[in-house]
Amino acid sequence: MNSRVLLPIAGLAGVLLLVGLAIGAIGAALFGRDPFVPQPEVHLAPQPVFHVGAFAVTNTLLSAWLTTIVIVVLFVGGTRKVNFIPGRLQGILEMFIEALFGFMSSVAGEKLARRFFPILATIFLFVAFNAWMALLPIYPSVGFKAEGSDHVTTHLLRSAGTDVNMPLSLAIVAFLFIEFWGFKAHGFGYLKEFFRLHPIQGPIGLIELLSHFIRIVSFTFRLFGNMLAGEIVLFMVTFLTVFTAPIVFYMLELLVGGVQALIFTGLTLVFTFMAVSHQEGHEDEPGGHAVQTTHAAVAPQHQAGGIVA
Amino acid sequence: MLAAPLLVEEATGIGALGFDLGSIIAYLVTFGLLVVVLSLFAYKPLLAMLDQRSNRIKDSLEQAERVRRESEQRQIEMQRALDESRVEAQRMLAQAQAAAERYRQEQAAQARAEADALMERARGEIQRERDAAVEQVRREFAGLAVIAAGRIIHKSLDTQTHRQLIDEVLTDGGQPARRGG
Repeated sequence: MNSRVLLPIAGLAGVLLLVGLAIGAIGAALFGRDPFVPQPEVHLAPQPVFHVGAFAVTNTLLSAWLTTIVIVVLFVGGTRKVNFIPGRLQGILEMFIEALFGFMSSVAGEKLARRFFPILATIFLFVAFNAWMALLPIYPSVGFKAEGSDHVTTHLLRSAGTDVNMPLSLAIVAFLFIEFWGFKAHGFGYLKEFFRLHPIQGPIGLIELLSHFIRIVSFTFRLFGNMLAGEIVLFMVTFLTVFTAPIVFYMLELLVGGVQALIFTGLTLVFTFMAVSHQEGHEDEPGGHAVQTTHAAVAPQHQAGGIVA
Repeated sequence: MLAAPLLVEEATGIGALGFDLGSIIAYLVTFGLLVVVLSLFAYKPLLAMLDQRSNRIKDSLEQAERVRRESEQRQIEMQRALDESRVEAQRMLAQAQAAAERYRQEQAAQARAEADALMERARGEIQRERDAAVEQVRREFAGLAVIAAGRIIHKSLDTQTHRQLIDEVLTDGGQPARRGG
């Protein structure tokens, strides 16, 4: 893009930034007026939109369903007729799938990656699309007003990641997935790792067992915290500056959605691979040689998580 | 003074997060359905297609390699056949030349031998003709001589004695008699 196009856009963005600062919460506090954007209300818990019997359908659950529909339409529609020479949509989907599969193969080897793929790829898509969908303008703007209120108090849609139940569900799925593959690979010998009659290895085994359960908590709150923090940041930046400045944070959240999805998927993958290959020496497990690969793969994941969290 | 976002919650502590078994089950069901649908209708055909494509590329590369090797092999074979045929041609040429030479020599020898034989025969024939002619001449000459002598000496001699006399004369070769000379 040349400067003839870029300059007017930058100028407009600058003007909008100044206007936003003037009419937003900052300017409102300076000039003693009401802010242009109402003060955001942060709900930790999701809000029910309607009830089906005793079951409350929350805005986050509604959003998760919408996301699910979007994913299904995109992927099933895009692969209804798979051609050898792909069209645009098929090409994009293939790129997506190939990248995910390549990532899994690099950690667990192609054979295991093929068997892990359906669950792990779906975790990735579910987390990423939930986060990305929540950046659409209808999410923070459409909702219901409470009696006597002049602004939306209950949103129709809300990012599913900000509902602790969604990360918790995925964490349970991940936990069950990991332990299932541990048992599948080693049978009940998998439990020998945790229960040992040894003054040092005994307690370590118990701590190891505990850490497996604690993963549910860490999985849950890593995702929940990131998503909720992202939502609050977007709300607050919009409240304070109204225009231009939120764009930067929207771009950041776009990145965060992908990174969190990758972290969730990557950690599940690595833990599963460790569960499959952790008793090296006892059994000839395919890919058992790649324990060092496992550690190598864990390190960048934690680093990536550290930047965002 | 900037206002912090309002926290609008009834519950406090961990309960404020809104844990709800019903929601968890709903999310699990949603996720499960998504896994099933995507596995059947998206991952399976896509991965199969990716496999198919990578296999096809692998096959194509292998085939190209095979064709290249085959053409190389064929070229080597052709070169060898060419070399062999050249050697063969040279060998045949040499053989033909040798045969031609041998034939020429044989022909020449034969011609010479025939010519010699012809000459020999001709010479023999000439010799025989000459001998016959000489004999005839001698015989006739003897008769003439007898007649001539008879006339000259008017004396008739018996033919037998006469002929003896003539023969003696002729054997001496018509040379002048020593006695008389």
